[in-house]
Amino acid sequence: MTIGVASVVVMVSMGRGAQKHILDMIHNMGTNLIVVNAGQVTLVGGRERQAAIVTTLRPADVTAIAEHVVSVADAAPETSRSMNVRWESENMKTDIVGVTPAAFRIRKIETKVGRIFNSFENDSAQRVAVIGSVIAETLFHDENPVGHQIRIGLAPFEVVGVMTTKGVDATGVDRDDRILIPLETIMRRLVRTFFIQKIHIQVKNFDKLNSAEAEIRNLLRERHRLGDKPDDFTIQNQATIVETEKEATRTLTILVGSIASISLLVGGIGILAVMLTAFRERRKEIGLRRAVGARRSDIRTQFLLESLIFAGLGGFFGAFFGILFTILASALGGWNIIISWVATFFGFALSAVVGLIFGIYPASKAARLEPIEALRSE
Amino acid sequence: MIKANKIEKTYSKTAILTPVLNDITLSIQKGEYVAIMGTSGSGKSTLMYILGCLDKPTKGELELDGVDVYGMDDDALSALRNKKIGFVFQQFFLLERTTALDNVLLPLIYANKYPDDALQRGRKVLAQVGLEDRVEYLANELSGGQQQRVAIARALINDPDVIFADEPTGNLDSQSTAEILDILGHLHQEGRTIIIVTHDRTVANHAQRILELKDGRIAEIKNP
Repeated sequence: MTIGVASVVVMVSMGRGAQKHILDMIHNMGTNLIVVNAGQVTLVGGRERQAAIVTTLRPADVTAIAEHVVSVADAAPETSRSMNVRWESENMKTDIVGVTPAAFRIRKIETKVGRIFNSFENDSAQRVAVIGSVIAETLFHDENPVGHQIRIGLAPFEVVGVMTTKGVDATGVDRDDRILIPLETIMRRLVRTFFIQKIHIQVKNFDKLNSAEAEIRNLLRERHRLGDKPDDFTIQNQATIVETEKEATRTLTILVGSIASISLLVGGIGILAVMLTAFRERRKEIGLRRAVGARRSDIRTQFLLESLIFAGLGGFFGAFFGILFTILASALGGWNIIISWVATFFGFALSAVVGLIFGIYPASKAARLEPIEALRSE
Repeated sequence: MIKANKIEKTYSKTAILTPVLNDITLSIQKGEYVAIMGTSGSGKSTLMYILGCLDKPTKGELELDGVDVYGMDDDALSALRNKKIGFVFQQFFLLERTTALDNVLLPLIYANKYPDDALQRGRKVLAQVGLEDRVEYLANELSGGQQQRVAIARALINDPDVIFADEPTGNLDSQSTAEILDILGHLHQEGRTIIIVTHDRTVANHAQRILELKDGRIAEIKNP
């Protein structure tokens, strides 16, 4: 019973947490997004893994998309590489992401200290960096990183801003553990490549997401001269991503929900057993109560109330442990969980209902007992 | 007070019908002190339960205080027991881990309206049986004789017309037996109808009238 109610509380809290998470994700990702990845992206262990071949998307593709697809509002190419970053004696490995200033607009990336870099700095491949909050903490601790020189690989970069904290994204990537630098800088100075890995495209309105996706696919296939070969890129639009996330959450909810219903059932059977034992052990008490004037309905009410209280206590502890677990989980696991008071109350009420249902049989057995039989039982 | 006419009781638990009471006709006046005697299995307890409206006769007529009991439904019988009848049992049947006072007040829970003066009434009936200093004791902390006195107080709480006592001294030593019989004697002097079931002739001799049951029939009516 306790486990059942606890599961209900945890389940709904997680569900709501996940729901909020999805909304946050949509919001944080930017709105009306289409993401084009170079090569085929496959899901490995729940995370996106890009195939090895990444020499398919070029900056020219981005320009073409922005020019030819009318419903596109903005497009931001990016390419990234994992590299060492150093400041004074501190040193860590992180993702260096090259982006154009458009990326800040599209993906709603803002700085809490300093500024973002501008088109001029991008075009002239300046060595400037906007760092994530995790980087700022790890390298600089309490110091303000803005204006300091860090080394990415061997090259010196000036920190111009620190991003606001965004947390972990849908695929488990920590969005605060990365450094944004101009796309031109990463392509010409750090990685020396002609290719980009990803394009974030913002469409003018949500309804156009699917048609824009189709147009972009056709344009890219044409530009890459694919003929009847399969796509050498992967397009995801926001609607699909959100759908996938929802699906995962739903699966989790069903899982925890079935645990909850099984344990409520087990709890109910437990109550049935306890009340039947109580009925057997208290036959004399029932007889006596009948002798001094209790009606059958009084006995029934008493037994029902007892199983109700019994179940209610189970429910109470369940709610207690459920909330405790939820708090613990969100504190220790860093999960996004909202305690649902509605669910807590619902779980509590559910246990009471289970108590009542499984109490009916023992209660009516007790009520049906003839007083004379009850008094004479040994 | 009580009029029974040709009462029969048959148990049909097994395939064989077992007659327990046969053609019992009796009448008990208000304020009488009657003992029902008999060996075990003679049907004396069954008769008492029927007279006390805890059990229904298979056949026959039963009138209590001028009201036909036979046709009453279950709830009405419960209310009747609550208001007019007090029971005292051989095994006391107190709720353990419950105070003497709460045990005494138990019948009031099932009255139509819980009286405002319940506590005073509870203390008063406990004083009547000489337990004024044991009011807050738990039932299982009391001796057998004291427990039976609590049971008598419980029977008195609703100021009943009749008190039925089923072997009330069966589990008690001779001193407690004397005390209990003394209390029952007092209650009789106050004008209450008392019906006691016993197999013990010395106990039965306290009554005004003895009905002796044998094989489900009244064999003898004696006035000691």
